Amino acid sequence: MNYSTLFIQLLPEAVLVVTALLLLGVAVATEAKTGKPIANATASAISAIGVILAGFAIFNMPSNIDSGSQLISMDPLARIFKAVVLGLGLLAILLPPARREIQNPGEFFALILFALTGLSLTSGTNHLLFLFVALELASLSLYLLAGFPRTARASEASLKYFLFGGVSAAFLLFGLSLVYGFSNAATLPELAVKLAENPTSPLAIAGLVMVVVGIGFKLAAAPFHYWAPDVYQGAPATSVALISAASKAVGMVVLVRFLLIGFSAASGSAAWGGMVAGWSLWIGVLAAVSMIFGNVLALAQTSVRRLLAYSAVANTGYLLVGLCANGASAAGAALFYVVVYGLATLGTLAVTAAVERNRGNDSPTSFAGLVHRSPLQAVALLVFLASLAGIPPLAGFAGKFAMFSAALSASTHGGDPGLTWLVGLASIMSAISLYYYLSILKQAFVKESAEAGEESPITASHALAVGIPAAALVVLGLFPALLLDPITAALIGSMSGR
Amino acid sequence: MMLLSLILLPLLGAVLLALQPRLGAKGAGQFTMCWAVLALLLAGGLGCPVMSSREWSLPWIPDADIALRFSLDGISWLFLVLTGLVTLFAVVASLLNGKGDRAYFALILVLQSALFGVFTARHFIPWFLCWELTLIPAYLLIRLWGGTGAPKAALRFFIMTLGGSAFMLVGFLALQLAIGTMDFDALGKLAANHQLAGGLEKAFAFTGASGHTLLTCVALAVFLGLAVKLPVVPFHAWLPAAYAEAPTPVTMLLTGLLSKMGVYGLLRIFLPVFPEVLPSIAPLLSWLAVATVLLGAMAALAQTDLKRMLAYSSVNHLGYCALAIAAAAAVQTDRSALAAALSGTVLQAINHGVIASTLFFGIGILESRSRGQRGLNDFGGLRAQTPVFCGLFGIAVFASLGLPGLSGFVGEFLIFNGAFALTPAAAVVSVAGLLLTAVFLLRMIRQVFAGPLKPSLAKWQDLGTAERIVFGIAILLIAIPGIWPQLLLQFSNAGILELLDLLSPLP
Amino acid sequence: MTPAWTLTSAFAAALLVLLLPARSAGFAKVIALVGSLVGMVAAAVACLARLSNPSGAVWSFDCDWIPSLGARFHLAADGLSLTLLLLTGIVAVAGVLFSWNVTHRPRAFFAFFMTIIGGVYGVFLSRDAFLLFVFYEIVILPKYMLIAIWGSTNKEYGAMKLTMYSIGASALILIGISVAYAAAGGTSFDIAHLAAASYSPALQSWAFPILFLGFTVLAGIWPFHTWAPTGHVAAPTAASMLLAGVVMKLGAFGALCVAMPLFPLGFAQWQPVIAGLAVIGIIYGALTALSQKDLKFVIGYSSVSHMGFILLGMAAATHWGLRGAVLQMISHGIIAGLLFGIAGRVVYERTHTRDLAALKEFDLWKTLPGVAIAFTLATAASMGMPGFSGFVAEISVVIGLWQAYPWLTIAVAIGIILTGAFSLRALQKTCFPNRTPTDAAAHALPPLTWPEISAISLLLAVSLAIGIYPKPWIVLIDDGLRSPLFNSILSLP
Repeated sequence: MNYSTLFIQLLPEAVLVVTALLLLGVAVATEAKTGKPIANATASAISAIGVILAGFAIFNMPSNIDSGSQLISMDPLARIFKAVVLGLGLLAILLPPARREIQNPGEFFALILFALTGLSLTSGTNHLLFLFVALELASLSLYLLAGFPRTARASEASLKYFLFGGVSAAFLLFGLSLVYGFSNAATLPELAVKLAENPTSPLAIAGLVMVVVGIGFKLAAAPFHYWAPDVYQGAPATSVALISAASKAVGMVVLVRFLLIGFSAASGSAAWGGMVAGWSLWIGVLAAVSMIFGNVLALAQTSVRRLLAYSAVANTGYLLVGLCANGASAAGAALFYVVVYGLATLGTLAVTAAVERNRGNDSPTSFAGLVHRSPLQAVALLVFLASLAGIPPLAGFAGKFAMFSAALSASTHGGDPGLTWLVGLASIMSAISLYYYLSILKQAFVKESAEAGEESPITASHALAVGIPAAALVVLGLFPALLLDPITAALIGSMSGR
Repeated sequence: MMLLSLILLPLLGAVLLALQPRLGAKGAGQFTMCWAVLALLLAGGLGCPVMSSREWSLPWIPDADIALRFSLDGISWLFLVLTGLVTLFAVVASLLNGKGDRAYFALILVLQSALFGVFTARHFIPWFLCWELTLIPAYLLIRLWGGTGAPKAALRFFIMTLGGSAFMLVGFLALQLAIGTMDFDALGKLAANHQLAGGLEKAFAFTGASGHTLLTCVALAVFLGLAVKLPVVPFHAWLPAAYAEAPTPVTMLLTGLLSKMGVYGLLRIFLPVFPEVLPSIAPLLSWLAVATVLLGAMAALAQTDLKRMLAYSSVNHLGYCALAIAAAAAVQTDRSALAAALSGTVLQAINHGVIASTLFFGIGILESRSRGQRGLNDFGGLRAQTPVFCGLFGIAVFASLGLPGLSGFVGEFLIFNGAFALTPAAAVVSVAGLLLTAVFLLRMIRQVFAGPLKPSLAKWQDLGTAERIVFGIAILLIAIPGIWPQLLLQFSNAGILELLDLLSPLP
Repeated sequence: MTPAWTLTSAFAAALLVLLLPARSAGFAKVIALVGSLVGMVAAAVACLARLSNPSGAVWSFDCDWIPSLGARFHLAADGLSLTLLLLTGIVAVAGVLFSWNVTHRPRAFFAFFMTIIGGVYGVFLSRDAFLLFVFYEIVILPKYMLIAIWGSTNKEYGAMKLTMYSIGASALILIGISVAYAAAGGTSFDIAHLAAASYSPALQSWAFPILFLGFTVLAGIWPFHTWAPTGHVAAPTAASMLLAGVVMKLGAFGALCVAMPLFPLGFAQWQPVIAGLAVIGIIYGALTALSQKDLKFVIGYSSVSHMGFILLGMAAATHWGLRGAVLQMISHGIIAGLLFGIAGRVVYERTHTRDLAALKEFDLWKTLPGVAIAFTLATAASMGMPGFSGFVAEISVVIGLWQAYPWLTIAVAIGIILTGAFSLRALQKTCFPNRTPTDAAAHALPPLTWPEISAISLLLAVSLAIGIYPKPWIVLIDDGLRSPLFNSILSLP
């Protein structure tokens, strides 16, 4: 155990925690001095600086360091996703808070930093117990963040999220202990070795089922998604952004690590005509249910935030398609897509939050005439929604196409149909999703605004929160290799147990 | 190249007309008249032996032997000159009657272009292109400047012709698919060697029909397309209404030129391409021809509208051409009779073109003076009031009924000369047509010119100077070939001989 | 000027238009015109260069794009692509000219317009299935916007229907391409590579219909054509022209150059079904057009009928058939553009009605003789009159069909006759109505403007040029059909 190396490895998280504590201190001091809570802008600026510093710490971390601790695994995948978590977190911090949503910015942003710490730690471990602890650190922060405005709706959202999250944590913990009981191994690579000897052990399978259910809650896969619509609607936009983007990305990383590193021996197959019991089959079913459920229910929504919640369910379905094939390139594409999805959802939330602040609600009709009121936001919204719907040349398209074709090529051999049924369902569902995305775009571009409401000017941070994801989606859409290739390479590296 | 420029010349005129929005109706007419004179001169000039380049060709779809090929021989040249003459005649008639405007004259020029093309094309594709191209201007001319019934008449004309063309197209497509060419000369040579039926049988083996049957079907399809244009009797339903409703100068074009497309097609395309099956369909053709002759004449007898009467008379006269073709189809051993029948067809076509357009010109004069009246009983006793008109018109009528010495006689004489030798029965029955023709034409003369002068006609002026000159030239053109048929025959002889060689090769 | 100019000029024009400041929005149309002219000239120059040196190397551009997937940025322009590029260029120029009077949000209009053009160019140039699909999909959103914002008659419904059909079809294409990619080893999306791989007959028999249907929905294959009439009617004129003129050709192009070469055995299995659907489409489209009251609906259904010829040529799978199919793509592109331009822009903007009965009041022949003549010629071209492009194309298709399915030619003949009937009916009612002297005098209508005249003349001239002298086009198309891609199809028994 080399503690100096361990410190370097944990430096990003350390920076986040220190910033959080600093922020709390400043907030208390300010309130004591002026009698009023710290200004929103100040708090968000401090936390943004903290996140940026943590990002520097990641980028400057020497590659190829090993502290010898089993708890922390700083593989390339972890490195990339820590950066992703911080990036998405930064964008969430830049999001404009909705009106009177946040009474105590000091605590709020400190909680965000804690949540980011938890997420960042989660993405960089192969250790079963540490994974649970880190994940719960993140989750507890997120439960609080969801209920921050102390409105009835937010409280309901927070409570629901907490109850469902608690149950899911129980599942996860139970599953982990079963797995540990089966293998006596604390880390995933060790587990893989044990499993290879006895791939059909009922104990291990039961444990895996529990783990998948637990993570399925976090990812909002149907039928474990019931918390999502209320949280998306009731929680502050910033919290939702974290939950939908960063937390989902980390959930995917965890799932990928579990399935591809830990349980790859028990994959089974979901191929048409050649189904074999195993997680591939369950994931396939989960994917199909999520896609159908999410898309069909999204069609009926009149609140954009709820619509985004169901779209999150549907997108989880697409992501699971990528995992289902049990192939590195497909899973790599899925990890790429989760980043892209996070960017697009976050951007949409940013625009929605602004519209909500100006118009009072988030029904699609309040987007009417957005192109005249704020061309930048309208064009960015076009980019986000088109990317979600999978229209080229945006990153969502590249991600989906890569994911689907890689899933097919990992599953078909010779002339058998393989996963065509699932990929076919996914592409058709994805086509259907265009309908509800288009219904928002129609309001924004085609309809004229009924009332000439007051427009608050767009702030710099808001412009960044909208502009950066939009630009990123365009760039990643034109040159997906920029992110797709590193992720795939990193995943292959992690799987080979480097 | 000269040939191509002849075809494009009227088209150029039409474009020039289209580009001058400020030109009035009269100006447009005068311009068109000059242009038509130019076209006539060029068409006539092409007949001079010095004009060496009489062929023009451009590959179209190279690997299928499809080319835009035009070429000129004596028979074609006669039809070109006829086209030039009748077009000029019609333009002058329009000017004299004060008919038409810029678009009208432009359409006439387009029509002329297409006709030049039809009479010179030697490959099906360019020929069909021009054939169909005549349809649009003709349709519009009838539709837009015609009488109250014009929309219906024009549509019927259009659809019947188009339907016939569709069959013809299918027929030639079948040849293209089976034989690999649609070039008339190439097809003629292959047919003379009896290769068409075999080729068809091979290509259409899946139908199980024999080559002869297949070729018969193709021949009938092509005949149908040509017969509608001519028209042969059951396919003539469009004609009376179209001729009657069209403005009179356009009727001159219809009868003088468009019907000749049918004759030309039968003579230059139908006969040489299908000699293998001609004897077997000849009986059908002859009875259709006889029906055309007789029914045309009888229907004319029943008309009270002058234009309709002359329209049916046209059917009757062109029936003789059909008779000659049918006779030539029936027997191909008697070369002299064949030569007579074929030469007669050419003469009849050319002369009927001149005579019929002259007759309609006369009707036009009547119509313009009576403000649109043209019933047989609307007139009477004109001989005293307008003697010059009556004299000239009378000559034309006599030419039409075939008085020896006038041009109508020579063609019919040669046709009957051939037909009696080849298909005696049909020829005998057809003679009745000659008599009927005389009956209704003479009745017209009597009704219009003789008898007491109707009071409403008392203020009529005789022909003006311009009208006299035009009418006079027309009568000259009727009289000269009647006296000196060799004038026309010397041009067509070479072509007729070629045709004979294809139909009945010398041993 | 390489063919790449087409693509870049279109996208550059779209970008420039977007960046225009609001006060100089009037320049949008000028930029769009220049952009589309550059594209047209580049395509024409490339065509001429190819004609003068038919055996030379084909222009191509190839570089890495997404290495982990094996997707490459691979463009190439053989004769077949070149003719379609030229078609696109011509329709684009005419479309801009017909949109000269757009004053409602002109910047957005021309930006969307030029984006569609760019996407179409991209599809015709792509030699990589992934890239082709990217360009194919780029077109979808701008299409929706053009119709939903600037359209007429039930525009939001029409736009949404069209978009959902397009995206649904794209989903099928995605499946088909992915299947081929996976079965060919999952290393490359290059179309030539995919076509060279051998797929098992079982896979081809289910993968082919998916991919083919995906493409041909956009080509208006019966019974998935219903988006076409409503979409065309709802769209603003320029968008109708683009939709019917070139966007429908994208589907046909994809079916011809991707679906059929990839799965030739599957194609052979489904060939009779395709031929049957095509014939039904021809006759159904013509019959429906015969009973329409709205002029644009007549043209919309006539498109369905005409697109049937393209499918039929492809189904015949003989050299003549494929050639005819491509010729018909070009011919219909020009003619549909012309008809929609005249009906939707020239006539509608002046009379504010497209109802065939109501047009009687305007007596177009008297009030706008130029329009009547142009519409007559366009109708003649659409009917397949000799001398216009439609004749050459239809005759080639019929010859090709004859070699494969002789009996079907009878049905086609019926279709051609019906086409004549509905075309004449529409022409008669639009331009030459039966008026009696008691009818009220026709209203005076504003004369034709120069952009309209130039657009009409451009399209008419091209249709006539092809009809009178098709040889260069045929040489170019044959050049494309010699590509090894089509060997497997042309050698089918």
